Amino acid sequence: MGKLKSSQGKLILRICLTLIFTVGILPAAFAAKKVPAMDEALGIKLAKQAVRADKHWTTTDHSKMEILKQPFTSGDQITKACLSCHTDASMQFEKTIHWTWKVPSDKEGIMNGKAGHAINNFCISGNAMEDKGCLSCHAGWNGTEGEVNCLACHGAEKFNYKEAFEDLKAFEGDKDPDTLELAKEIQTNVSNAVNKITLPQRENCGECHFKGGGGDGVKHGDLDTSLAEPNKMLDVHMAAEGANFTCTRCHTTVKHNIAGRLYTRPAAAERKSLIQDDMATKITCESCHSNLPHKTDSKMNDHTDKVACQSCHIPEFARVNPTIMWWDWTKAGDLKDGKPYIVEGEFNKPTYKSIKGEFKWEKNVQPEYFWYNGSFANIGIKDKIDPAGIVQVSHPLGDKNDPDARIHPFKIHRGKQPYDKINKQMVAPLLSGPNGFWTTFDMNDAITRGNKTLGVPYSGEFDYVETTYAFPITHMVAPRENALNCTQCHIRENSRLASITGIYLPGRDRSNFIDSLGMIAVLGALIGVLLHGLGRFFTRNGKEE
Amino acid sequence: MFKKVFITGIIVLFTLGSICAAFASEGPAGNKRKGKYTYRKVVKACFDRGAVDSETPKVSPADKKQAEWTAIFEGKEFSVFGCDQEWAGISDDDALDIYSYFYNFAADSPTPATCK
Repeated sequence: MGKLKSSQGKLILRICLTLIFTVGILPAAFAAKKVPAMDEALGIKLAKQAVRADKHWTTTDHSKMEILKQPFTSGDQITKACLSCHTDASMQFEKTIHWTWKVPSDKEGIMNGKAGHAINNFCISGNAMEDKGCLSCHAGWNGTEGEVNCLACHGAEKFNYKEAFEDLKAFEGDKDPDTLELAKEIQTNVSNAVNKITLPQRENCGECHFKGGGGDGVKHGDLDTSLAEPNKMLDVHMAAEGANFTCTRCHTTVKHNIAGRLYTRPAAAERKSLIQDDMATKITCESCHSNLPHKTDSKMNDHTDKVACQSCHIPEFARVNPTIMWWDWTKAGDLKDGKPYIVEGEFNKPTYKSIKGEFKWEKNVQPEYFWYNGSFANIGIKDKIDPAGIVQVSHPLGDKNDPDARIHPFKIHRGKQPYDKINKQMVAPLLSGPNGFWTTFDMNDAITRGNKTLGVPYSGEFDYVETTYAFPITHMVAPRENALNCTQCHIRENSRLASITGIYLPGRDRSNFIDSLGMIAVLGALIGVLLHGLGRFFTRNGKEE
Repeated sequence: MFKKVFITGIIVLFTLGSICAAFASEGPAGNKRKGKYTYRKVVKACFDRGAVDSETPKVSPADKKQAEWTAIFEGKEFSVFGCDQEWAGISDDDALDIYSYFYNFAADSPTPATCK
């Protein structure tokens, strides 16, 4: 009878516990499903709040402006029409790096920028704007001469004004009715294009920035024409079905100064929230997503002081179009039947050009990771180099002890380029034009002429040195489900962060002392449980019966 | 006397040279600029009736050499462009203009067509 009562009591207790558990847990589970917003990460909530008011509107319809209805015959006339209302626009723009291509450096007497003393390992230098080949990307109607071309950034229609104006001039005075009709048609097309004014769109910025280095995707790796209309898999911020950002959403602009230059303003110096300052001069991920972007209590939030968001959220770059990873100038200058030639390879991209040398293109490239505080160390044309090693023409600054530094992903573009053997300095060969390398295929002469444009002496002897150039990867942010998982870094073999040394990375690194302590603790616990079990087994054995 | 003969000789030589140079100039005699726009109109008409998927011409003068364009236009073998219906309807003058455009911006011309 007593045994029966005891087993009934146990049953009742079990039922009660089950009921309590079920009643307690199930509603909580349903509640989580019904109200997902409650579960939304802080970083997402803040980002939505930061950009919710970004709805541009205008009170001006440029197609109704009388001054824009005149029969334009030159770009300068168009700009003068713009300036009749936007009186200070040119003045502002001509002070920016977009016009000057120069910016003061920390080093005395050195100017950074394409038109300054900076070099890269693509087309090497802009030769103080003497290399006319580069000027197709200068925002003027005629290179550096004349007025600013406002429509380069504010024209909604891609239109070849240069060709139109040349043809109009050529048809001038021709009385042939067909030609007159044609001229009228060209004039109408010019007017239609001039009337379509816009805030800078992706196509405007992309016309140069997607094609930096001489072609689509050549330079950056995370910037190419695939970003003109990306889907969400490629870029969650720029995709139409995502946040649908234009470039200027993040690259904020004050007086035509567009934020985003790397070596002029370290990102870490201003970690402002967009809610705090919508025109912050340097917008980072944190500006919208805060430094606690993941769900509360998520371990990932503990990473944000040492790991840049981009490191996990941009697993690969060049995910649609390929990018150049290797450029070898030593191979340039080979001719067939006395003429330059091109060899096409994988991705329908050139792997050899007589005028430029040999290239290697890659797609879906895994970034390399370095500590980065928002600044770069650059080797310019006046700096001394050690040609015995690899010259880092541009390399991120920062280390594990720098509170502003994060582990950040980079495209490292490698190549071989000429240097001055005697002076031990990099050189800036002139490439385009009748006296440039692309015409003469005489590298020595091209260096002599190119260095002269920058006022830098050349010994007359050159050789080639291997170089690297680092580009921070920050566009092409993938959807969260495609972000890196823990084991891509926290793993013994093939960790993505294998190059980040001098820190203890759990999973990747081991300490024999800690491992031994852990093993002792685990074994101790096992032995303890075993002894305890055995003790109870032997001391209680047979007592219940 | 010698001076007069010398000057006359120079003038005669210069005139003859100019005439020869004018006649010796190579290529079709059409209007290359008009040809460029006429060609674009041909492609646009083709696009409007749905025969091609872009109104931007796919065939560029720089795709072939001058001799190849000469063979195509003299033989009126316009199939390389597609758009047979439109090519069948263009006048000889228009075809000559387009030929001039392709010839003058061919791959082996002094100024091969770029993307413009």
